[in-house]
Amino acid sequence: MLESAWGWYIIAYLFLAGAGAGAFISAVACDLLAPDWSKSLARAGSLASGPLVAIGTACLVLDLEAGLWEPWRQIYLVANSSSMITWGVVILSGFIPIAFVYAAALNEITIVGKIAKKYLIYLEIVGAVLAVATAGYTGVLIAVVNGVPFWNTPLMPVLFMASAMSTGLAVAMIGAAIIDISTIRTLSNFALGHVIFLAVEGLVLGLLIFMSLTKSVEAADSAKMLISGALSPYFWILVVIVGLLVPFVMSIVEYHEYGEMPKILVVGADLLVLIGGMSLRAVIIFSGTPPHIV
Amino acid sequence: MPRYGIAIDTTKCIGCQACRVACQNQNNLPVTEEFNRIVERERGTYPAFGKEFVPLQCNHCENAPCQRVCPTGATYTTEEGVVLVNPKTCVGCKYCVQACPYRMRVMDHAKGIVEKCRLCVELVRDGGTPACVSTCPTQVRIFGDLDDPKSEISRFIAEHRAQPLRPDLNTKPKIFYKRS
Repeated sequence: MLESAWGWYIIAYLFLAGAGAGAFISAVACDLLAPDWSKSLARAGSLASGPLVAIGTACLVLDLEAGLWEPWRQIYLVANSSSMITWGVVILSGFIPIAFVYAAALNEITIVGKIAKKYLIYLEIVGAVLAVATAGYTGVLIAVVNGVPFWNTPLMPVLFMASAMSTGLAVAMIGAAIIDISTIRTLSNFALGHVIFLAVEGLVLGLLIFMSLTKSVEAADSAKMLISGALSPYFWILVVIVGLLVPFVMSIVEYHEYGEMPKILVVGADLLVLIGGMSLRAVIIFSGTPPHIV
Repeated sequence: MPRYGIAIDTTKCIGCQACRVACQNQNNLPVTEEFNRIVERERGTYPAFGKEFVPLQCNHCENAPCQRVCPTGATYTTEEGVVLVNPKTCVGCKYCVQACPYRMRVMDHAKGIVEKCRLCVELVRDGGTPACVSTCPTQVRIFGDLDDPKSEISRFIAEHRAQPLRPDLNTKPKIFYKRS
């Protein structure tokens, strides 16, 4: 495996921020489109969103060194508008509080929630925009790095966005099953969401690999590391089979059977999507190869 | 204001590592940390083949990717074109380490900040040359002002059509190489 300046903290951040943002979008979509029968899913999504993104951001801070030991240095993080980290700090600072307030409003937690409930639609609009920004930004963060040709493609934010949607929906569905197991039947409606998001994710991932093989020597090195090199067992087993193919097929069956699939399999498919989402970030970060310079 | 750069003649390099040690000495670096290094490479096929030593260091790019991605603005370019890191505002996010296509930035885990070749600005401002330049026994490196057409470095680059490494990456490096 290649030496990478970024490790598991950054990988965890990319995953958690994506899943949290996706959970928020799932919650908003459920609340706006089907408020009567998808209440537990909207509630679960909103409750998970803020904490997930906040934990992810904590990982980001833990990865800092001088900025962790001398936290006042973090004030400088918004100094350079051409840096995606500066943009990320602004987006996260807006999204995290809104996600918490939204969870309070939707679940009517404390007086804050009761007041915020009056402005629910505004929280949903602003929050959804910031959620899309959060999920997309995790991809843009690495897509603008021209020191790693494999990452340096506009496909990267699209891939991260698709993965954020499928992992976020998975989080919301698991949460809904925890909150109210009797809603497991209605969860079958959302299996269609998984089918769509996983299909897009698989398609974009395939495109990324194929384009990288012909883009440059270094991008091809990274792609080969995934399909036949050091990372290939993780890529094929964890990302492709466990994270994409199996949950894709299970979601089709789930949608088709409509509520007749065993509960363990419904939640199981969602857990696999989460394993796949985390593994996807890990193999992408670890396969980053710098340009050959001499 | 001058615009400093270095021209490197790899045909003269014997791979003795004196530049690396001089740099570590000048910057008080531990043996495990280096701001410049020498890559050994085989060229050609038998019987027309040979070994090439390519000394590497920060390219002090005019279009520096490290500076563009630095969220705190800790990375900056001086008027002389030297790319530096402000140790007081670097948070150690390592975004610049990933962004540098030449991988010439070093994370100092003891100090928690990113460090790199500073072109020995303190020596240069006193009229001297960087330690790697003055220490080289075979005079591989030429230091000087790229904007002065009469300077030794400008004439060397023009005469040998010296090129930066991977100019296609469009970072506009200020370290030039004569490789044959």
